[in-house]
Amino acid sequence: MSLQNTTIQRYRLFFPQETLREISARTGIQITRVFRLVNGKPMRLQEFEAFEKAIQTRIALNPNQSRLSKNLEEASSFLTNEELGRVADYIERKVINKKFSRHYLNPIFEEAVIA
Amino acid sequence: MKGLTSLERVIVESLGKQGLPFEKIQEQTGVQENVCFNLIQALIIKGIISFDKNVYKINPNISPLIIEEINGKDAKREESLELIEAIIEMNSERIYRLQKVALDEKDEKIFKAMLYNLESFLKEANQKSQSTLTLKNKKIVFWGMSDVQKVINQIVVGE
Repeated sequence: MSLQNTTIQRYRLFFPQETLREISARTGIQITRVFRLVNGKPMRLQEFEAFEKAIQTRIALNPNQSRLSKNLEEASSFLTNEELGRVADYIERKVINKKFSRHYLNPIFEEAVIA
Repeated sequence: MKGLTSLERVIVESLGKQGLPFEKIQEQTGVQENVCFNLIQALIIKGIISFDKNVYKINPNISPLIIEEINGKDAKREESLELIEAIIEMNSERIYRLQKVALDEKDEKIFKAMLYNLESFLKEANQKSQSTLTLKNKKIVFWGMSDVQKVINQIVVGE
């Protein structure tokens, strides 16, 4: 998957319900351009940075996020492979359970494609 | 991830040998409609259950490798942790007690005998009521005991 697609998917994870208009307002990218980008048009560096900035701002709202990243980094150098596996399992299960309790909707982009 | 999540396990357990339609699975498990649907889809993708004539059934052709993965030691440990953590996090309608207790040799023997009785009681109670109680109305019970020093060593050494 290209870096651009990964960034858009990450953006969607953080802002699952946002409309094209809201994405435009958050990133400062014109709405017609947002429409093209989510339909696969290549991104400019500035646009890529705008999406990344929105994601980073959202991450910053959650202080435990940086704690988690820091601890994971430390864990990878201290824990054995088996212990790391358990930590990974624990996180994976938490995520899976959250996913089960959530509706899987991709309405904005699907609508965009149809439109 | 190894095995099933405890939510997936609940769905599989509810199916039994004969299989169930969606509404019955929901009734048995008490899982919310959309969550139940997502869980069933995940289990179908994993090849653990199948859908035939409006009934979801446990796939009879699950490979021994997958069965081992589902019921293996690691998977069971993860599932147990998930359930115990959920009970600890509940604010009400649960009993949970963990403490360090001074037990001399005699009292430890008495306590172990009590645990043995408790296990027999639970086994009989389960046999008596398992056909009448739905899965969602059953209880989750757990207990355990070990020496403080051994537990501390386990935490320090790990694995």
